[in-house]
Amino acid sequence: MINNVRNTVLTILSKDNRGYLTPAEFNLLADQAQKEIFENYFYQYSTALAKQNARLHGSGYSDIPARIAEVIDLFMVPGEALVYDSLTDLFAAPTDYYKIESIIYDDVTEIDYVTKQEARMLNSAKMTKPNVTFPIYTLDGEGIRVYPDIIVADVSADYIRYPLAPKWTWVSLSGGEPVFDQSALDYQDFELPLSDENNLIIKILQYAGLTIREADIVQAAKSEEVQDKQEKN
Amino acid sequence: MSNYISPAEQYYTNGGVPPTDSNWGEYQYVVLADIVNQFIANYVGNDKMINNVKRNQVVFEAKQAIKLLNFDALRSVKAIELLVTSNLKLILPPDYVNYVRVSIEIDGQLRVLSEDRRTNTAVKYIQDNAGNVTFDVNGNIVTGISDLDKHRLGQYTGPGPYNGCMGWCIDGNWYFSYAIGGRFGMETSEANAGPMFRVNNGVIDFSSAMADRLVVLEYISDGMQNGDDTLVTVHQFAEEFVYRYIKWKLLSNKVGVNLYDKKLARDEKQAEFRNAKLRLSNLHPSRLLMSLRGQNKWIK
Repeated sequence: MINNVRNTVLTILSKDNRGYLTPAEFNLLADQAQKEIFENYFYQYSTALAKQNARLHGSGYSDIPARIAEVIDLFMVPGEALVYDSLTDLFAAPTDYYKIESIIYDDVTEIDYVTKQEARMLNSAKMTKPNVTFPIYTLDGEGIRVYPDIIVADVSADYIRYPLAPKWTWVSLSGGEPVFDQSALDYQDFELPLSDENNLIIKILQYAGLTIREADIVQAAKSEEVQDKQEKN
Repeated sequence: MSNYISPAEQYYTNGGVPPTDSNWGEYQYVVLADIVNQFIANYVGNDKMINNVKRNQVVFEAKQAIKLLNFDALRSVKAIELLVTSNLKLILPPDYVNYVRVSIEIDGQLRVLSEDRRTNTAVKYIQDNAGNVTFDVNGNIVTGISDLDKHRLGQYTGPGPYNGCMGWCIDGNWYFSYAIGGRFGMETSEANAGPMFRVNNGVIDFSSAMADRLVVLEYISDGMQNGDDTLVTVHQFAEEFVYRYIKWKLLSNKVGVNLYDKKLARDEKQAEFRNAKLRLSNLHPSRLLMSLRGQNKWIK
């Protein structure tokens, strides 16, 4: 998909000799665009749920929240074992996580997320004091603190990671143009589904328009985006 | 513990691991963790009335529901047998909430004791000669054994049937608690020939004749199993009530839920409570029939 996106972007940009994006510039903008679209999925999901609860979405093909959830689930990392640091009493959080879905103890027991204040209250209450049957965790700086503190192993996380940074790789120049090389070791395609190709092009054009100071490009891309949103809603 | 124990050998023998009877009758009950997980899976979600609720809130409400069941519906009575020593006190069990019956063992029979609601004990504040309350180095009041207790611990030695019994000696006259009400114009609610007891500050105080006697304390607990959540269970007859209770409590605490939904949830909870109570009361037609067979019996 990345080569198609790049070709389309360059075609639009080079019309009327507006400008040119180097592969490095394209990769930067592509990463930015992908992250923005990825994050937007969570807001779309929330809106779609509200509409579904208002009976504005149906089931089957019109089950929009399920379709959005499917895209988000592409980035789900299940059962990542967390490493315990006895010096800080913390489990190291995954470095690439966007949102932790659940922390699991001993493969079956879900550890409940609470705020630090709630953890203090729960720990001091006899009836709700966390135990190995109903453990809790807090996010503590760069790590995860699990209560009760006798839990020091067998903790894993299901989490949503950030998409990997896309990289359009090339091998040689032909006629002054770099030639796409999909076999390069550092090649990385977009991780968003094919249905997002249009959105990626629009987003990259917006950023490119700002880079090359072409207000027309930015305006045109924004109009396209607004129209797309209106159609979806 | 689990609802479905297989293979059958595991149920009957616990795989040979002691205690081998730990699975017997297990199917009747649902463990707390299952209640919580099932509630979250089936009652909590973005398309349901309850969402954005933390697991610990569900655990808390589930425990409250189980407590309520234990107090009002289950009445699952625990019984312990203890020897009352010469101090005439019995320390309450750690999971004690309230007593059902206190009985004395006499010749292999249990006889129910009456509560003495008139006698009381007190914490004695130690006073100096001027009558001032004394304090220790930490500024706390110095306390001692109540004179009420001391007097009661007196042992009568002399003629009559009370020889060797503990009692009150006031102005040279001995009083024994089981004589309360035992005379003309007696207070019938206190009429009792046996020893008496009173629950006081974490102990049960007994009257004098209870020294060196076996006592059976039947009491109700809150079902919290001394804080071991793996042992907390609910009878299947009451499972639905626990779900409805949690639902009602969570909805009633949530902002933005209309009053109608809250009231509906409360009514559902009440209906399930009545159902649970009826089911747990073990009303069998055959037992009713047995009772009815006595309707024509002549009472002389």
